[in-house]
Amino acid sequence: MSLRQGEGSCGWGTARARTGDRDCDFCSAEILGFPVTLGAEANPGARSSASRAPLPMSALGLFRFPAPLTRVCAVPWGRQHGARPALLSPGMAAPLVQEAGKKDRPALLPLDESELEEQFVKGHGPGGQAINKTSNCVVLKHLPSGLVVKCHQTRSVDQNRKLARRILQEKVDIFYNGEDSAAHREKREAERKKQERKRRAKETLEKKKQLKMLQASSRTLHGGAAGSD
Amino acid sequence: MLWALLTGLGRRGGSRGWAFSSWRPHLPQAGLLSAIELVSRWAAVFEERGIPEARESSEYIVAHVLGAKTFQSLRPVLRTQPLTPWQLQCIQDLCSLRLQRMPVQYILGEWDFQGLSLKMAPPVFIPRPETEELVEWVLEEVARRPCVAEAHGGPLILEVGCGSGAVSLSLLSRLPQSRVIAVDKGEAAICLTHENAQRLQLRDRIRIIPLDVTSEGSWAHLLPWGPLDLVVSNPPYVFHQDMEQLAPEILSYEDPAALDGGEKGMDIIMHVLALAPRLLKDSGSIFLEVDPRHPELIGSWLQSRPDLSLDLVAARRDFCGRPRFLHIRRSGSQGGCPVDALSGPPPARAPG
Repeated sequence: MSLRQGEGSCGWGTARARTGDRDCDFCSAEILGFPVTLGAEANPGARSSASRAPLPMSALGLFRFPAPLTRVCAVPWGRQHGARPALLSPGMAAPLVQEAGKKDRPALLPLDESELEEQFVKGHGPGGQAINKTSNCVVLKHLPSGLVVKCHQTRSVDQNRKLARRILQEKVDIFYNGEDSAAHREKREAERKKQERKRRAKETLEKKKQLKMLQASSRTLHGGAAGSD
Repeated sequence: MLWALLTGLGRRGGSRGWAFSSWRPHLPQAGLLSAIELVSRWAAVFEERGIPEARESSEYIVAHVLGAKTFQSLRPVLRTQPLTPWQLQCIQDLCSLRLQRMPVQYILGEWDFQGLSLKMAPPVFIPRPETEELVEWVLEEVARRPCVAEAHGGPLILEVGCGSGAVSLSLLSRLPQSRVIAVDKGEAAICLTHENAQRLQLRDRIRIIPLDVTSEGSWAHLLPWGPLDLVVSNPPYVFHQDMEQLAPEILSYEDPAALDGGEKGMDIIMHVLALAPRLLKDSGSIFLEVDPRHPELIGSWLQSRPDLSLDLVAARRDFCGRPRFLHIRRSGSQGGCPVDALSGPPPARAPG
């Protein structure tokens, strides 16, 4: 599933897009992607008509990774044995990102940070304040499978890192689980629902046709007399 | 004239070596250019003129005019459609600014930080990507010490040098119970933080105060807000001798006062560390972004100032592997939660 600019009118469709539930909680628009901006573009009118309680901004799943991202040094592909980050936080594996209200959906395999390699565009010199760079593209590689994700969906390095992990997590799931992967299952489910809707619509149409025919034939039977029932 | 050259109608083999002649045969139809083509053309112009990040700049500008934040996030169909004359003109206007080395963030008038879209305006300091990790670290610490977070409506945070409001506003939006006091000595920064707080509807939990922390007794103005849980800062930390080597984007457009940290880049840092103990609760924390040379310098300096009762707890690297962030704690009562966070009346607060 490729992530594209969010199309929900309220801008809150973020979390929903990820699980394949295409309807935004807040404006019921079909969401194909997600917007970066949280809050500023939210439509208060749409929010109040939500069937579920609105998620507080801090709980929107897409950009929340409670466990810290490991400080992996930006070097070309290949294991780095030197330059260890000064502080390695415990629990480095990216946690499963649970969507509110999606308890029935099986969780994806978490990514192990030690199996990932990340590449950014580095500035030269001391970096930080001394550099103003805008190249925020993140390239993330999953070493065991060789899968690579390049993410430049947002203007924020931090968000791109998180998104890259999200996208890679899904790709890894497909890679190892094939037809059994969450993405494929969701796709089949969506397809099934679509077929179901089509079938019902067809049925309704058939019934209407039959009713019309009945009315038409009853008119001719009674010789054009007024009085359709 | 630049536009004429771009559409291939300009002089052949101009004296400045524009070398556009190689493009002309590839024009699908005169005047009908798509986003992808325009990005390439402007990237080439920027490269020719030595503009750094030629392709990125071109992509951001074109994407922006087409309503997207990045080129990659632009819907594929929009990338190949012909652009309208209005769009072409907008792009040209913005690219002209880039030719004058204006930073992309000022050209677009906005930028993103931690998922928030913020207005950008010269000369207010543009948030750097590294600083997003400063925010992450603060959030981790708050999550780790819930007694700090829950007492009296979330952590009370002071940000020194708020600039556009990036750090303050992202903390506020991620910590719904928190309150922030944001200070800056620049008037433009104060205004811009106000504006961004307004746009993000976070004004009710932020106090934005013009304040120069290097001036005598300035910390006293902050006392009425009560003891703080956290002090966060990305203070000017560039070594003075390094200032002149900064790129024209920075030197010509950003406020030097937001960058210049004095001889060893430590001037403002030292003031922040000196005022913090007077304002922080026991075991309150300071989180700083610094130059990679600072952790050692600050470590030694703190040891020479036992009167401050500050301990350097940890240093953390940024995503490029450079030591960039420091966690310093005010040593007060032994272990556990600070006493004054759990008992006693809420601190008196100044009106407004």
